[in-house]
Amino acid sequence: MGRQINVALIGNPNTGKTSVFNALTGLKQKVSNYPGTTVDKKEGVCKLPRGLKAHIIDLPGTYSLNASSLDENVVVELLLNKTDKNYPDVAVIITDVENLKRNLLLFTQIKDLRIPTVLVINMADRMKHRGISLNIPLLEKKLHTKIALISTRQKTGIDELKDIIYNYKEVPTEPCLDTSRIDPDYFDSLRQAFPNQDLYKLWLVISQDANFGKMSRKTLEIEKFKTKSISELKRLQQKETIKRYQFINSVLKVGQTVDTSKATGLRARLDRILTHKVWGYVIFFVILLTIFQAIYDWATIPMDFIDGAFASLSHWLKEVLPSGAATNLLAEGIVPGLGGILIFIPQIAFLFLFISVLEESGYMSRVVFLMDRVMRRFGLSGKSVVPLISGTACAIPAVMATRNIENWKERLITILVVPFTTCSARLPVYLIIIALVIPEGRFIGLSYQALSLMLLYLIGFGSAIVSAYILDKLLKIQRKSYFVIEMPNYKVPLLRNVAITVVEKTKAFVYGAGKIILAISVILFVLASTGIGRQFNEAEYLVRMEVAGENLSEEEIETRIASHKLEHSLIGVAGKAIEPVIQPLGYDWKIGIAIICSFAAREVFVGTLATIYSVGQDDEATIKNRMKKEINPVSGVPLFNFASGISLLLFYAFAMQCMSTLAIVKRETNSWLWPMVQLVFMTALAYVVALIVYQFLK
Amino acid sequence: MTVADLKKGESAIITDSSSDEIPLKLLEMGCLPGNEVELLQLAPFNDPLYLNINGSHVAIRKRIAALIQIEKQDG
Amino acid sequence: MFNEIVQASLVIIAMLIAALFLIRKYVLLPKSKKASKDCGHDDCGC
Repeated sequence: MGRQINVALIGNPNTGKTSVFNALTGLKQKVSNYPGTTVDKKEGVCKLPRGLKAHIIDLPGTYSLNASSLDENVVVELLLNKTDKNYPDVAVIITDVENLKRNLLLFTQIKDLRIPTVLVINMADRMKHRGISLNIPLLEKKLHTKIALISTRQKTGIDELKDIIYNYKEVPTEPCLDTSRIDPDYFDSLRQAFPNQDLYKLWLVISQDANFGKMSRKTLEIEKFKTKSISELKRLQQKETIKRYQFINSVLKVGQTVDTSKATGLRARLDRILTHKVWGYVIFFVILLTIFQAIYDWATIPMDFIDGAFASLSHWLKEVLPSGAATNLLAEGIVPGLGGILIFIPQIAFLFLFISVLEESGYMSRVVFLMDRVMRRFGLSGKSVVPLISGTACAIPAVMATRNIENWKERLITILVVPFTTCSARLPVYLIIIALVIPEGRFIGLSYQALSLMLLYLIGFGSAIVSAYILDKLLKIQRKSYFVIEMPNYKVPLLRNVAITVVEKTKAFVYGAGKIILAISVILFVLASTGIGRQFNEAEYLVRMEVAGENLSEEEIETRIASHKLEHSLIGVAGKAIEPVIQPLGYDWKIGIAIICSFAAREVFVGTLATIYSVGQDDEATIKNRMKKEINPVSGVPLFNFASGISLLLFYAFAMQCMSTLAIVKRETNSWLWPMVQLVFMTALAYVVALIVYQFLK
Repeated sequence: MTVADLKKGESAIITDSSSDEIPLKLLEMGCLPGNEVELLQLAPFNDPLYLNINGSHVAIRKRIAALIQIEKQDG
Repeated sequence: MFNEIVQASLVIIAMLIAALFLIRKYVLLPKSKKASKDCGHDDCGC
């Protein structure tokens, strides 16, 4: 057979729509993009009875077809465009038992589009708890639909749903509401002007500013039809909403009974503590600390493993493959480059694990509620919390997480300041510099070194907040108080959903950042191993001559040669070229090279230094010792001293170097302006701060 | 009297939500004349407000809350 | 000798792929989709 039908999953957020999608498609899903937008497109395949296949699209959660965000726009556009290849043969509306009244609003709207519409009532397992009972046959009759009562938690009802979908042709398509009743005169004239168009669809196009397939507002205006003013339209939308609720209320009055004495107040009790003016914040803070602690502790084991694995791979390749430029590229450029990306997977995966659990449980909304007022003082939104926290793993998924911030100005500011937070890639740089220049000693129980690290994290957050504040004052974009967040019921997170989310987001990081880092690593490596002129081409000869008197082992000579070659390679030339610029910051051309290389990925800084100082790559202790001994030719004092160390730390704290982040900011803001602003501003800031600090401290 | 004037735990009936600044989404969540609204929790500075509007549990900012007219129900 | 040629060619190819990839990603102007649709200009509720 092999026939395929399109099924669209639509519904309010927090109804368990994703769980239904997961239950229907298993792991046969893929995530992509709706063309021309940054909205995630989730699709999957489900096998129905008798060889029929369902191509299921999990549309973004929406409360109504009156779209108020990019996500919701996508839903309306698909449903109004019959020529779209994803146009559904059947629409499955997911609702949940506890919010049926509100969920049905969307249901009635979709029903009016005359697509076969199936109603799914999820969370059936909670019916008893809440004293709710439903008369399904009566509801089916009054709503002109087929109903599947399911519980994704207990895994019941899915097969019945599949059957209903299979028999989609038997699902009635009459609308629930007679659109013209909203304003009989207006709709009458619409009907006369456009006799061939479905009234409700016309209405949707007119009342919203979007392009739907062949019908666009412009075409209608061109027809010189007198469309109403924005506030008049809004009034009509209100009327429509009222009429719909009247219909829904009349249906639920007979189809649903609620025994209020049975409703348990778990949500209320939890809310009392979790949104408490004092305890709410304390609890949130404790949870945050726990997350960070866990991430850094638990992640080290897999990270060390990955590190070791790639180092071994590198060695093995060098031994097994014929020696030459390509082998070197592979073993010393590509493999370490890949390793450098993959090594962050544990941290990122853990972070998403925690965030996903907090979101699935419903707690995140409470956090947004608690933090909104504070965030607003700085031009951010309560919903900026998740991106800011995510930024401590990696700025890329953090920027992507800003998508649910409705207010454009708040969203833009969040995107612009997230790179200030201390991402994982900066840690290797911080750790080695701190180890080098921060003295031993303790202050109230904590070592100076630990305190310095904490301070750097605080500086990261602090500069994010302060920049947000400044941007808020500077940017002349209108800012409305449009902020509505649903506070869903608390529930135990479904493991499966969490797992799928973690996998998806980690993949996004690996593919998104990974490709860029890899490409830059390749180029930098080639530049670092190519040189022109005698010094480079005869490096081996020259070095051996130079060290003839000293009694060095073959290995030591090899590393000396490598260092010499690096110094005279194309990158080395570049490093020397920028030396005058970075000298006032206390750096020399060697650090210059490392900074250039870390444009690919910050952590490359450490590896590059290792090469420069002729140390084997895996020898961390020796790197430190070697760096300690390095003397600054200009000042005569150790190169890595307190002043230059702090200068370097602060430089990395503020510098916007991550190419991958710039790419994602460009994608999410749809223009080159903002990433350029970030690049210029942050680099300038980093330079100035490092300069002042060095000059002051030296 | 508006929603912004409610005290924690108090309920009232919505009488007018026609202000242009009130997002349509809120109306669609049930913020319509005749429906009940209850203030569940208040964040510091009375902003945002966590409300139960017609069965929907939502949080909105004070500025919008001040635009929703209500009438206390007695009894 | 043969080995050196192969190795050098592979490196050059890799370089080209990497460079082309980056150029495509950074230099190529965004396909003019509904560029005016990006949130902030119309009243999509933002």
